[in-house]
Amino acid sequence: MEILFGFVGKDYALTASDNTAARSIVVQKRGEDKSRILSKHTLLSYNGEAGDTCQFSDYIAANIKLYEIKNGVALSTAACTKFTRRELANSLRSRNAYQVNLLISGSDPKTGVPSLFWLDHLASANKVNYTAHGYASYFILSTMDLYWHENLTLEEGLGLVKKCLKELKIRFIGNLPDFFIKVVDKNGIREIKL
Amino acid sequence: MSIMSYNGGAIVAMKGKNCVAIASDRRFGVQALTLTHDFQKVFEINDKIYIGLGGLATDVQTLSETFRYRVNMYNLKEEREIQPKTFAHLVSSTLYEKRFGPYYCEPVIAGLEKDGSPFICSTDLIGCTTFPNDFVVTGTAEQQLYGMCESLWEPNLEPEDLFEIISQALLNAVDRDAVSGWGAIVHVITEDKVITRTLRGRMD
Amino acid sequence: MPYDPHPNHEGFLNSVGSPIQHRFNPHTDNGGTTLAIAGKDFCLVAGDTRQSEGYSINTRYAPKVHELSNGSVLATSGMYADSVNLVLNIETRLEWYKHKHNKTMSATASAQMLMTVLYQKRFFPYYVFNILGGVDEKGEGCVFSYDPVGCYRRETYQAHGSSAALIQPFLDNQCGAKHQNIKEELLTLDQAMKITKDAFASATERDIYTGDYLEIFVIKKSGVTKHKFDLKKD
Repeated sequence: MEILFGFVGKDYALTASDNTAARSIVVQKRGEDKSRILSKHTLLSYNGEAGDTCQFSDYIAANIKLYEIKNGVALSTAACTKFTRRELANSLRSRNAYQVNLLISGSDPKTGVPSLFWLDHLASANKVNYTAHGYASYFILSTMDLYWHENLTLEEGLGLVKKCLKELKIRFIGNLPDFFIKVVDKNGIREIKL
Repeated sequence: MSIMSYNGGAIVAMKGKNCVAIASDRRFGVQALTLTHDFQKVFEINDKIYIGLGGLATDVQTLSETFRYRVNMYNLKEEREIQPKTFAHLVSSTLYEKRFGPYYCEPVIAGLEKDGSPFICSTDLIGCTTFPNDFVVTGTAEQQLYGMCESLWEPNLEPEDLFEIISQALLNAVDRDAVSGWGAIVHVITEDKVITRTLRGRMD
Repeated sequence: MPYDPHPNHEGFLNSVGSPIQHRFNPHTDNGGTTLAIAGKDFCLVAGDTRQSEGYSINTRYAPKVHELSNGSVLATSGMYADSVNLVLNIETRLEWYKHKHNKTMSATASAQMLMTVLYQKRFFPYYVFNILGGVDEKGEGCVFSYDPVGCYRRETYQAHGSSAALIQPFLDNQCGAKHQNIKEELLTLDQAMKITKDAFASATERDIYTGDYLEIFVIKKSGVTKHKFDLKKD
């Protein structure tokens, strides 16, 4: 029932994730930020099995940070994705595979070109313009099919987020009250309140 | 539901006269939900060999990386380009390494040999190879592709004719498979160049 | 239909030694392929003649394309025993119709009737995939394609049976002009015959359940003609 979606705009990548930590029918916490900062210009958003998500994203974030400290240069968004995918693919063949779905959003610090990657729990990775995870994808993808275009300004982008959330409110039974909306652009990562 | 048809896809390779072609659809989906239409399932090994990986998308990506690594290591160690036959055995042994926990992926290989003669090969998911002298197919539209290829293909096709035949075979086959299609990509490998074209298809 | 080497009515002890279950499965698939193409003033209906069960061939000549007394042709694939009974049922109804109305039933009416007959056995179906070919009231070729419970549709071309997946895209291409920059037009009889023979020759190469002989029925207003060709017997 978790909701995670994102898209790239003209000069930014945006992801929106619900902020509810729930288990079965019980809400354990509101205001949970289901994302990790991989570098100044790369953000990892996740959902999935409760313990796995934190363990895995902490592991990825720490290793990518380690690389940055060791080499004095941060990995690109695409490289972060390649690394994450490989780690997840290796875990897939183990006895306890991580059950996590991920979005990796980023922006090239030099050119400012945004990018967004979709990874599922089987470690299939795809570079996408707009995407979603879980049940919400059945509603959100068609909304974004209709309204997304490659020159979305941030303002238009937020309008698109509102359209998606409205669609969820109307048609999705697991509609969740509050969202974290994060934008990555040339200046780094920031949260935006709708 | 079989894990081999979780993501969907269709790949075909054909022999021609001193040329060989390989083509795939471009859909990536999770069961009935289509997510992207630019998914890569055919990979360049060198300018004479291409491999198409059909099956579970995660293993398509993992294997494409593994083959890139192993072929690079081969090139460095041997100081020469790998030959299609050798590469087919590399693929076979890579898959058989995981005999009891396989990659859910059935590759097809298309290439030109040293003497310019066409080479095609397909293997099952644990690396059992076959080397037919007409065409090989894999993916969820396998049956449809067999029907199309068996009736359209003929020996000694010139590159342009081979392109037309493989494109018609693929496009018509994927239209009768719910989890394949959404565009296609075709590579025709000839002695002096590789012709790559992307095709429009039905988007439903 | 994939071959099941351990049908559950055989009743041998399985390897884990769990209780043997005796559930009788009344349906079986006897393989084979059928095809029909509608033309301007004709209809072509074809089928192979192999009848098989699992990996064995029961006979090389068991026609599954039946000429009906009203001048239509019914191609049946799936379970042979059911198809025999279905044809018997249909023929009875055609005869009763003739006595009652003093005319033979039209192709389109028999198509409607076949739907009713199939749906009457909705919860214990005739395990038969039908294609009904004939010439309609306007003298044009007509093809009706059915599922086992009677859901049907008029088509211009259709393949059914074990090689349906192999032949149908080929028909899309050659009869429906799909992915070709030409207008879709009804085929001439010569073209239709050629395509049918090619389709079956190709299907025979890859499908173990299709082969032996090919029977082609050509239905025109003037009557039905039957042609028989050889297919590979391996």
